[in-house]
Amino acid sequence: MSELAPRRVAVTGLGAVSSIGIGIEAFTAAVREGRDGVTDIQSFDSTGFRHTRAGEVHDFRPRDHLERLPAEKWGRSSQFAAAAARLAVRDAGWDADGLSASRAGSAMGTTNGEARVFQELTEQWMAQGIDGIDGDLAARASADRIAAAVNTELGLRGEAQTFGTACSASNYAIGYGFDLIRGGAADVMIAGGADAVNRATHAGFHRLGAIAPDLCRPFDEDRGGIMTAEGGAALVLESWDSAVSRGARIYAEVLGYGLTCDAKHPTQPDRDGIAECIRRAHRDAGVEPDEIDYVCAHGTGTAANDSTEVAAVREVFGDRIPPISSIKSMLGHTMGAASGFGALACCMALYEGFLPPTATVRSVDPALGPDLDCVPGRARPARPRIVENHGFAFGGNNAIVMLGRPA
Amino acid sequence: MSGTTESTAVRITGYGVISAAGAGGKVLYEAVRSGTLPPGDGGAQALDGQPAPPGVRLLSVPDFAPREYLGRKGLSALSRTTTLSMVAAELALAGLPEPGGPEERADTGVVLGTSTGSARAFAEFFRESYEAERPYLVSPALFPGLLLNHGASQVAMRHSFTGPNASLAGGQISALSALRYARNALLTGRAARLLTGAVEELGAHTAWAWHRGGALGERPALGEGSAVFVVETAGGGTGPAAGRSLAELTACEVAFSPLDEGPDAVAAALARCVEDALRVGGAEPGDIGVVSAGASSGPGWSAVEARGRRRALAGHTPEVLRVQEVLGETYSASGALQLAALIAHWEDGASRSDGRADWGLVTSVGHDGSVGAALLRRPSAAG
Repeated sequence: MSELAPRRVAVTGLGAVSSIGIGIEAFTAAVREGRDGVTDIQSFDSTGFRHTRAGEVHDFRPRDHLERLPAEKWGRSSQFAAAAARLAVRDAGWDADGLSASRAGSAMGTTNGEARVFQELTEQWMAQGIDGIDGDLAARASADRIAAAVNTELGLRGEAQTFGTACSASNYAIGYGFDLIRGGAADVMIAGGADAVNRATHAGFHRLGAIAPDLCRPFDEDRGGIMTAEGGAALVLESWDSAVSRGARIYAEVLGYGLTCDAKHPTQPDRDGIAECIRRAHRDAGVEPDEIDYVCAHGTGTAANDSTEVAAVREVFGDRIPPISSIKSMLGHTMGAASGFGALACCMALYEGFLPPTATVRSVDPALGPDLDCVPGRARPARPRIVENHGFAFGGNNAIVMLGRPA
Repeated sequence: MSGTTESTAVRITGYGVISAAGAGGKVLYEAVRSGTLPPGDGGAQALDGQPAPPGVRLLSVPDFAPREYLGRKGLSALSRTTTLSMVAAELALAGLPEPGGPEERADTGVVLGTSTGSARAFAEFFRESYEAERPYLVSPALFPGLLLNHGASQVAMRHSFTGPNASLAGGQISALSALRYARNALLTGRAARLLTGAVEELGAHTAWAWHRGGALGERPALGEGSAVFVVETAGGGTGPAAGRSLAELTACEVAFSPLDEGPDAVAAALARCVEDALRVGGAEPGDIGVVSAGASSGPGWSAVEARGRRRALAGHTPEVLRVQEVLGETYSASGALQLAALIAHWEDGASRSDGRADWGLVTSVGHDGSVGAALLRRPSAAG
């Protein structure tokens, strides 16, 4: 495969199952309007928590979207993944048999895997003893089922890879799919991620003092932290030749990606590790900092993330920082799906011509330095050509994907 | 056809393994060859006071003491999953002729397979939230340990490896998922050296999950362990292990067959993986001297794997290392323990013929339709 010239990789389909909309049209409309999806928690009993709001997907009925996967036998994260993948494939105009017969697989990211299954198993353990857990439920607990659900739903015979690289996992998945297609090992890869709101994740961030009381306000001087959230995001990645021969709509081109590991602290982000990740992503994509028109920030809305991320961006970009916004202001932190949703927003920004907003920012934190354009409020019309999608994670797993307007 | 193309070869230059056989490849291979394990505690340490499911043999790492390998500092917040993978990584690095220098850390990464991270840590954290005075008064130090990337990130932190750090969940085929990812990352120039492998922890939660799920077959046995391999590109002639190779990872293919298409389609998918691996590696069925067979213990799954392998090897019947029969079901770790047993088998100096039969195969079949095959070649020169 190394004898062949690297192939270009197109994004031809987008699928979203999110608190602000199901399907890429609804998702994009909400992003452009700056609408948030934060509500009172329903997925577990939030009694006793001081902060009780989250970005849950309330109107998700798997059977509305799935054609093949028996939803009742799969966990919520797998259902999100399979539904987002189905929506993306429909959006790409692939017919089921054609896709199944092609060299196609999936790469999906997650932070907590099937956390809702674990939640239910723990409740059984506490109520009935460890010998009282339901075997059928336990069989749904493995995180690898997230990509397996995508392949099962779509009848894909290529690989089904689930990345457990926490909150940057979707970017890992997109990067891996990009490498496989570029090198000729696959023609189509469904890439993205999924996670479900659950008690353990909420409690853990709550204990760290990292959960916002009302809304997630990245870059705001009165930010309160993250908002735990859920959903599924999927992109159809396809060789350029395949996309063109199908006459497919091409939203964007995957230009490259970069990975680094901070290797310093289990939870704290690191400026140097992030800056090096940005440089690696630029080098891989063959672009220079002054060519970047927009940064879709990791932007969790904690002071530690915002200051570290902006400092890393300043280190690489110098005086001219591109507009940088956080869609977590609307979605909350969808964990393993987060950089997948970031990629969806980037593709739509490139295709339709706008910059996604930081919807909830009121007064930009002066500690972040001068001239920080975080696109407050609503989307702004623009014609970005090259954009950068950030994903960072506990464990220091940094992953950045570069996307370009198709040309 | 013989020989590999330089551009697609990845060398394994070191490995570390810990299992119910103890620490190291030698004891692992002795256990696989003899079919016997050293006396264990019946899983008592791993169960940690919880009851054992009836009729299931629990084959835990005997007298597992991570501090003997890792020192005492900071171990209290680490799960068994994380310390097992850290110990395997430590053993792998210790086996290298000399450690890598600080200048190599930016291009050195970690790629581990695990399907749930520590299921025990996850369940206990949930439980703490239900039982604490306030639901958020959980232990903050334990929170990162819920994540699937905790083991890989701890290995990276311990050694300041800032290169690509990935964790892959692949169920039964987790190790092959990780090996494939690592191989790709090396061949695309994203890393110069990777520690890659997989881990599985034995504990009450997983033991009861297997037992209640009824997927353990007629002679149920559950194991645990981790194996980690140091892998480098073939051309990397300046590293500390230049010229030394335990084996070449010439191909690693993984695929999927939706379960609603039936077990025969899964067997066919495995056959396709093996055929693809042989094609990528430039080998033929007759070149395979040994197969390190999968740890799929569920009813019928071992037969599916054997059928797929038979189909691809076209009548050729190499020696088979039955790792799972000795170590029990080791799930995410299984492929890594199989590969470790294969390398140990070669290190043991198993008979070699005239250049034929110098290849080895690792195969794996999951319960969800995932399949994988890795093709290895014995180094042509000793040392």
